[in-house]
Amino acid sequence: MRKWLWTLMVLALVFPAGAAFGETPQKGGSIVVCQPAEPPGLDPTANTAAAIDRVVYANLFEGLVKVNSNGDLVPGLATQWTVSPDGKTYTFKIREGVKFHNGEPFNAQVAKWNLERAIAETTVNPHPEYFRGIAKMETPDDYTLVLTLKEVDALFLIHMAEGDAVMLPMKGYEDAKSNPIGTGPFKFTSWVRGDRVDMERFDGYWNPKLPYLDKLTIKFIGDASAQIAALKAGDIDVIGYILAPEMAKEMEKDPRFKVYAGSTTAEVIMSTNNKAKPFDNKMVRQAMAYAIDRKAVVDLVMFGYGTPIGSHWSPSTPYYVDLTGKFPYDPKKAKELLAQAGYPDGFEATIKLPAIYSYSKRAGEVIADMLSQVGIKLKIEIVEWGQWIERIFKKKEYELTMIGHSEAWDIGIYANPEYYFQYDSQEFRDAYANALKAPNEEEKAKWFGRCQEIIAEDAVNGFLFSASGLPTMKANVMGWWENYPTIALDCTEVWLKK
Amino acid sequence: MTRYFAKKLFILLVLLFLVSIAVFSVLFILPGDPAQIILGINATPQTLANLRAELGLDRPFLEQYLDWIQKLLTGRGNRSINYDMPVYDLIVSRLAVTGPLALLAMVFAVIISLPLGIYAAKNQNRPADVLVMFFTQLGLATPEFWLGILLILLMSVKLGLFSAGGFPGWTSDVWGSLKALLLPAFALGVIRASILTRLTRSSMLEVLREDYVRTARAKGLRERTVIYVHALRNALIPVLTIMGLQLGQLLAGAIIIENVYYLPGLGRLVFQAIGQRDLPVVRDIVLFMAAAVVLVNFIVDLAYASLDPRIRLE
Repeated sequence: MRKWLWTLMVLALVFPAGAAFGETPQKGGSIVVCQPAEPPGLDPTANTAAAIDRVVYANLFEGLVKVNSNGDLVPGLATQWTVSPDGKTYTFKIREGVKFHNGEPFNAQVAKWNLERAIAETTVNPHPEYFRGIAKMETPDDYTLVLTLKEVDALFLIHMAEGDAVMLPMKGYEDAKSNPIGTGPFKFTSWVRGDRVDMERFDGYWNPKLPYLDKLTIKFIGDASAQIAALKAGDIDVIGYILAPEMAKEMEKDPRFKVYAGSTTAEVIMSTNNKAKPFDNKMVRQAMAYAIDRKAVVDLVMFGYGTPIGSHWSPSTPYYVDLTGKFPYDPKKAKELLAQAGYPDGFEATIKLPAIYSYSKRAGEVIADMLSQVGIKLKIEIVEWGQWIERIFKKKEYELTMIGHSEAWDIGIYANPEYYFQYDSQEFRDAYANALKAPNEEEKAKWFGRCQEIIAEDAVNGFLFSASGLPTMKANVMGWWENYPTIALDCTEVWLKK
Repeated sequence: MTRYFAKKLFILLVLLFLVSIAVFSVLFILPGDPAQIILGINATPQTLANLRAELGLDRPFLEQYLDWIQKLLTGRGNRSINYDMPVYDLIVSRLAVTGPLALLAMVFAVIISLPLGIYAAKNQNRPADVLVMFFTQLGLATPEFWLGILLILLMSVKLGLFSAGGFPGWTSDVWGSLKALLLPAFALGVIRASILTRLTRSSMLEVLREDYVRTARAKGLRERTVIYVHALRNALIPVLTIMGLQLGQLLAGAIIIENVYYLPGLGRLVFQAIGQRDLPVVRDIVLFMAAAVVLVNFIVDLAYASLDPRIRLE
């Protein structure tokens, strides 16, 4: 019996979910997936909203490079790429026979045009800096794209796999916000504003075996209990992102559904204004780090569905260093540090919590309680999102706040002293520059690891946890991603078991 | 009558003009840069500037205001930033949900409240009256979102008679669309019926004590005629006032119930647009809502006149 169990466990590890026990995907069928936020337009190259990528990334639009369910960079519209020994020249082999949904062919010239558009003077791409490092773009033939960078950029390929770098057609790109045309496995049929986006199988997809589904609908349901009611009533098949964590236990018990407690790229942090008194004192920040019981935060805020973190790096991202042991929960030590810093009786401060994120409000309350145990009295202020952007993010009028940073590979924000943390460290900037210039994996791991250590040691922010995406679906939905290593609800290989 | 109408119309236009200035100014000084919200917190300054220019946010106040009014008057010029379509079309499509929802809710409210209110008044202080009063008290104390959720749990999750929410659209499925509105309209209607029942009852009781009702009874009219022909007409005036306010409110959007049933209605649209700083949408809808409330009140004024001819003379 025990042997059997072991075999099963090994099998479950070796084969990804859905493929376990050698099940072959079945074709046909349609699914309805819900996510809370309706995207502001459907063009990921003109707006950073995560809601857009969750609808279109990998479903409608593809880039040269893709992120797969394990977080690896895999061929998308490029079949392979090589990097020159000096790390500056990338040669992409462009996939042949790729067509846009409107019939336009995709080739190296189209790819070049897309990148030129992203870095043009008039660009509205939110992240032109991802591609500004390109010094030269060449297309020696229709299916080869050679990009030469000004300097080595360790994150270049990663950026090429993000929503900002998806490929649009040269004709029909203007309406991408409301009528997106891409190369993905599904083509756009309609967007019923306020309700759903409908997509259907693209018969001209470059991989003739995919997708398995005939129709894909993404529905927008903001209210957590409405999502669950819709799933139970059979109106939707999948809650793609994100089940209210307090409901997860109940849904797990129900044999009709399954819940994946995988990871995401988001780090929930208590952002700290490093220029505001008394948070400009490193000892105060470290004292707060000691005063926070991260395990309890995860239990109370996420009902256990999350992983404590010790720095600004998600456990699902490569080069992760576990720094949760750096400041273990120790209120006594926190008090001592506060006394050393000149606050033996603690102090009062305000934490501003954005109203749109329930996890943020809940975490704020929990943290306020924990900090009060060591004498730091927090006043809680709930702030509307637009206000948050204006007052906290732009004008830096805050002491503490609570927010999830959902982008992967975003530790570079600590290198910018103007960023709303107002963290200014030459040591970090040097380490980050070294990481970007790292010529090989070993150096990358070393310097990205060092970056994580520096900000952890400086306790720049309260590093709390990486949240779980908690996708929840009917038991017959197969091939759904367990982890979300990138911001997407990729349905390319999702299928229905009949 | 024409003068009465013209006067009301003039007031309506002045009111809308004032509302337009108020709405525009408030949104103009409201913190929260739309460009920043669209592009996210890591956007570069250049991209932000480009987008602001594209959206016309870099122009002075008066220029932006006049541009807005001009586009408003000439048709579909104002476009939603996020939905990338004319706000006019957006409002029309959302009204196709919110309008019928509001009307259906009022229908429920009226068919529940009028008979119950009259019945309670006729049986004042008897057990039936006490029972009706008890239930209306309960109705008044019930939040509508909670009733909405209970209805979903019972009718959708347990019995499977209705879908738990959403809206298929009138063009693709008329019966399905109507069905999708039934539960939320009922939830909205029941709560409003509680107020209307109490109002009908008390108003009815007051009228039944009037001299002319005694006269009507004295001259031997049947009780039914006394109540439905003589008393009800006069008793309805305060009820109608409240109904008008309720309808205006419902047209302005039942934000919470639209979220519970994820209906693509006007309330949810404006709620979302405020969060995303889709300013053209917020401006036009707030103006539209103001117009709707004023218009409904105008219609109620006209209805008074037909119920009570004395009002016309004043």
